[in-house]
Amino acid sequence: MIRIFFVISCLLSSLVNAQENLLSILDEDEKTVYIYYLFKGTKIVNSQSVELNSKGVLQFNIQHRFGPLNSGKYNLYGLDFSQVRLSLDYGINEWSSFGIGRSSSLKIIDANSKIRLCRQVKAGFPFTIVINFAAYIKQWQSSEVEKEDFILTNQLSYTNQVLFARKINRNLTLQFSPTVVHYNLVEKLNEVNDKYSFGIGGRQKLTQRISLNAEYFYQLNDKRNSNVLSLGFDIETGGHVFQLHLSNSSDMIDPKFITDTNGEWLNGYIYFGFNISRVFTIHN
Amino acid sequence: MNRINIIILFSFLSFQIHAQKYMGVNGEILFYSEALLEDISAVNKNVSAVYDATTSELGFQLYINDFIFPKALMQEHFNENYLESDIYPKSTFIGNVLDIKDKEALVEGDLTIHGKTKKIKLFGIFINNIDSVYIEAKFNVELKDYNIKVPKIVMYKIAEKIEIKVKIELKEIK
Repeated sequence: MIRIFFVISCLLSSLVNAQENLLSILDEDEKTVYIYYLFKGTKIVNSQSVELNSKGVLQFNIQHRFGPLNSGKYNLYGLDFSQVRLSLDYGINEWSSFGIGRSSSLKIIDANSKIRLCRQVKAGFPFTIVINFAAYIKQWQSSEVEKEDFILTNQLSYTNQVLFARKINRNLTLQFSPTVVHYNLVEKLNEVNDKYSFGIGGRQKLTQRISLNAEYFYQLNDKRNSNVLSLGFDIETGGHVFQLHLSNSSDMIDPKFITDTNGEWLNGYIYFGFNISRVFTIHN
Repeated sequence: MNRINIIILFSFLSFQIHAQKYMGVNGEILFYSEALLEDISAVNKNVSAVYDATTSELGFQLYINDFIFPKALMQEHFNENYLESDIYPKSTFIGNVLDIKDKEALVEGDLTIHGKTKKIKLFGIFINNIDSVYIEAKFNVELKDYNIKVPKIVMYKIAEKIEIKVKIELKEIK
């Protein structure tokens, strides 16, 4: 009796499953599911995120930083001062991008290249890994060239980073950014040329279009520089991304904000800034 | 008793083997939407389908993130904000061919998009050759039926009704 019951239940279950079985033959080779869209922008706040521009997409960024909050009401708490960085980033192919930029008050021109080595896979490889190389050259005036001690290579500095990011869930992404900044010329006595720091960053989506971002760079060997904490909001409105942030660094390029920050949050060295980015599809 | 069990089991297995089934994996689904600034279209060339001639069951399946858009940002918004492909990676259709006349068929079944299922009924081209089946169809879906929300202020504002074109050739499974 039990056996008959078993057979009948088998028959019934096979009938119930008939519909799903129809599609099950399509699922024989389950495809690798990559995890996309770890961050909204190519930067977390100031530092690079693991996101690259897609192939053929040109991104124009206007970055703006005001003065420190503790500069008093005479300076409208820093809003009287401002500096700008303009940059263009272009997606060369699906796994690499190239960018150039210029910072106004620093008079530094920079170029960077990001290469994605691998992507996070659902129930597979845990990280998206991107390497970032950047070079910076400080502009000079003709009067400086005439000086005897002028050497072109002294104007250069470099940043090398390996970025590891993981989308923990659909709202939260965390990133580790070990960084080396190399200066061809350092300004202070006993200052090291290679500065190591370790960055941690992340984003938490608050709504479909707004996310809270944070990043922290811890100085590993040059303790004269402050650790850098930056907080920001990304607001996406379709073609534009607006980023509003607060940081204890006023600079926008890696060697300056990571390894040349002196102010501390607790002393009121808090700088307000914003980025506006717009993408253009140049090539399909 | 054991023998009966085995016989029943075998009869089921043999039924599975002898069922005349067709399958295709390189189908194409194109969707088109009129929008304020520019029309939006995308194509998915990895659509797969099965047709069981003995039961006239017809099934389609695709991965949402296989849709290719002319602009990367549209693709991002499509996956992230509209279709939420991380939660609902697949879209499926499971139904039956009710009637075949000449080269046209009436199909009815459940279309699942964005985790929501709705019954649809449509006519399409259905050419059943000896070892293959060719299917072509055109229909509309309404975003509200599948709980796809379009924000009020957005650059790529899309229409409430989306036109979908399907094209696939299925080969007999030997």
